[in-house]
Amino acid sequence: MNPVILLIEDDPQIRRFLRASLVTQGYDLIEAGTGREGLALAASRVPDVVLLDLGLPDMEGIEVIKQLRAWSGVPIIILSARGQERDKVANLDAGADDYLTKPFGVGELIARMRVALRRAGPGEEGKQETLHHLGNIRVDAERRLVFRGQEEVHLTPIEYKLLSVLLKHRGKVVTHRQLLKEVWGPSYIEENSYLRIFILNLRRKLEDDPTRPQYLLTEPGVGYRLRDELAPFF
Amino acid sequence: MPDPALGVTPPIQQEPRTTGDERLLVCLDPSPFSIPLIRATKRMADAQQAKWYALYVETPSHDRLSPENQEQVAQALYLAAKLGAQAVKVSGFRIGDEILAFARENGVSKIFVGKPYARRWRRFLGTSLVDHLIWNCGPIDVFVISGEGEEEAPPAAAPGLKPRRLLREYLLAAGAVILCTGLAWILFPYLALRNLAMIYLLTVVIISSLLARGPALFSSFFSVAVFAFFFVPKYYSFALADSEYAVTLAVMLLVSTLVSGLTTTIRHKARVAREQERQTAALYEMSQNLTAINSLEELLKVAAEQISRIFDSRVAILMPKTEEKLEIRAGHPFADEDVREGMVAKWAFKHGHLAGAGTGTLSAVKSIYLPLIASQHVIGVLRLEPRQPGRVLDANSLRLLEALGSQVGLAIEHENLSRQAQAAQLQMEAEQMRNTLLSSVSHDLRTPLTVIAGSASSLLEGEKSLDSLTKHELAQTIYEEAKRLDRLVHNLLEMSRLQSGEAMFNKEWYVLEEVIGCALAQLDPQLHDHPVSINLPTDLPLVKIDALLLERVVINLLENSLKYTPPGTRLEISGRVEGRELLVAVADQGPGLPPGEEERIFEKFYQVAPGSARGAGLGLTICRSIIEAHGGRIWAANRPEGGAVFSFTIPLGEGAPLLVKNLPENAEET
Repeated sequence: MNPVILLIEDDPQIRRFLRASLVTQGYDLIEAGTGREGLALAASRVPDVVLLDLGLPDMEGIEVIKQLRAWSGVPIIILSARGQERDKVANLDAGADDYLTKPFGVGELIARMRVALRRAGPGEEGKQETLHHLGNIRVDAERRLVFRGQEEVHLTPIEYKLLSVLLKHRGKVVTHRQLLKEVWGPSYIEENSYLRIFILNLRRKLEDDPTRPQYLLTEPGVGYRLRDELAPFF
Repeated sequence: MPDPALGVTPPIQQEPRTTGDERLLVCLDPSPFSIPLIRATKRMADAQQAKWYALYVETPSHDRLSPENQEQVAQALYLAAKLGAQAVKVSGFRIGDEILAFARENGVSKIFVGKPYARRWRRFLGTSLVDHLIWNCGPIDVFVISGEGEEEAPPAAAPGLKPRRLLREYLLAAGAVILCTGLAWILFPYLALRNLAMIYLLTVVIISSLLARGPALFSSFFSVAVFAFFFVPKYYSFALADSEYAVTLAVMLLVSTLVSGLTTTIRHKARVAREQERQTAALYEMSQNLTAINSLEELLKVAAEQISRIFDSRVAILMPKTEEKLEIRAGHPFADEDVREGMVAKWAFKHGHLAGAGTGTLSAVKSIYLPLIASQHVIGVLRLEPRQPGRVLDANSLRLLEALGSQVGLAIEHENLSRQAQAAQLQMEAEQMRNTLLSSVSHDLRTPLTVIAGSASSLLEGEKSLDSLTKHELAQTIYEEAKRLDRLVHNLLEMSRLQSGEAMFNKEWYVLEEVIGCALAQLDPQLHDHPVSINLPTDLPLVKIDALLLERVVINLLENSLKYTPPGTRLEISGRVEGRELLVAVADQGPGLPPGEEERIFEKFYQVAPGSARGAGLGLTICRSIIEAHGGRIWAANRPEGGAVFSFTIPLGEGAPLLVKNLPENAEET
């Protein structure tokens, strides 16, 4: 059965282009032009992924997310314009899973959706992978060891924890706040500079060229993302 | 607008009298009758469309008028000014002569005076003002206006001084004469009679120079009497032993009264001069202070402070907030303890007329309210409350206040005009900027749009004929041009945000490496043809920046280099600490900048070769705005080995988080 995608977007041209692209890629698309309509469809059709535009005519995107999250764990991907970094963070913290900045390519969108579908997929909840691969980097979660090629990389406990949180959300954006909370604890959620220093150190230990990272990607103004093999180009 | 200020310093304009050019002059005196007199003259002036003057001659006796009468003079001058007359006050001794002199100087053709009511004794002497004018007027017509049946009360011959103070002055005068007599008594055995008389004369001079005219006159009579009683034979009697003594006494009396009269006159002149000097100085200082100011708030503040200082009063300037409500814009904040104060302020504002304590209009309040007039509209009210409770301003001070008020009004008007001019200028520049932007942008938008539309239509039409490689190429072109368009639009938005001051800087401690990495990631597809080398020390300190904006700087600099350098040439990004700054440089191996253009390239819409390359010429301008907002500098130069280098600095802030590894390491455990 094809995955069902709910698209909540008021612009008919964007809907047309997404319809054309997604249907040919083997997704079932249902469309809503307003937030209310979208919420109703989400309840009646139970989609696998929701694509939510932030500029809806009838309600704020964050309101849609909150109402949806009240009863559903369906992955939500936000479609937003550039320069709305604060909104993005607020929406992600309110429960959205990922975001795409307009204009975006279909490749990007499909990669994001794949990550979201996998995470929501059956059996994924309790499953703990013990061996991760990032190019030539191997992470052995059981033994808490990290290898680059054949060489073992020594990570400090915090560095390792940071890496494992990113691995847990692999392919998905993780906000600064979320990372700080999961790695350092709730009282550190404002300490963005800690995070930056540790990411820098982690990159220097894992990346070939830390200035042009291949795995530990920065999402400007929002957070970080660990590259996923499902989304190799973005 | 007739300017009450002119009442202070008479404008003596030498204008030749020409026939058919009527000029009327109304002579004011300290009586309520001046008001109907002014109105009558005004009617006449209107009927003849003539220019008219209102003149008050201030004689020494002006000081002896009661405050009410002095106020009537001020009111009359004010009314005349309001009705369109040129209101003038001159100082002099002989009213008639001053009026005629003024009339001749200003080419007046008709003089209006009130019918004389008092000074009957003067009339008996044949020296009434009207008579004087009629006999000496020459070609000028003199009109005598009657009081329209009203029985005008003569001006109260109230003394200029309060009775108690006057009594004290008389006692002082008497005391001085007695003291002098004591001195004369001691010197009597040694001095001749005429020298003793000299001592008395000296005393009279001293007294007249210090006291009012009445006590001075009294002292001259008293001293002659005492002198006659004590020192002129027969002693202790007013009887004279020799008739020659009568001459001595008569001359002494004459000399002493003359001297006392002259002395008081000189004092009056000095006082008038002092008063005028004070007013001139105050006005001059005010105009000096107000000219250097270029904001309304500052202007009102300075004006209120200065007026407050001159009058030793609390001063506030009120301006309308809404149609109905006045609010204090500068000066001393008054609590509205009395609703009447507010009502009087509104009245003064609405009617454009002086009101409040000591003005004769709505005077039952503590403060004086002076309307401020600019562009012939009342734009505010000045409130003045003397620091000493119960003190009211005398007529002179009121006039000075009015003069200062009109100066403030003019300054406000000037300020308003210059602000309007400035706004118009800004609007014009904005308009010009919009036009340039539109023409420049429309070209830059059209280029990628043309490519996109063209490629898409080729794909549509050649669906069957095109091979898959071409199709892919066309699609790739569309995608890349769309991205370029997106960056352009983003730059435009950023530009307008930065220009309008709307940009909210979100500065945090960042690692430069990460910012550069993000910029490179965004430009990834275009960088295929250009190898990039990055040279950053690993221990660069963190900088406090808005990362998204700084990323924009790096992107724009890289894009700029990509635009002007041939494929295959290397781009170099480097950073290092220099002093208290972080210095970042983006260097290329292209043709470099045209010499002398290193600064101009940061100007808006500037392009090295117009039309040749893409981009609205905004990229570097945006870079400069952003860097300057971070307190840094940005500049461009040519490298000695060829190519251009763009450098910018970011100041290193205090308290940067350290790059020490184990700093927050065990945070969880603590």
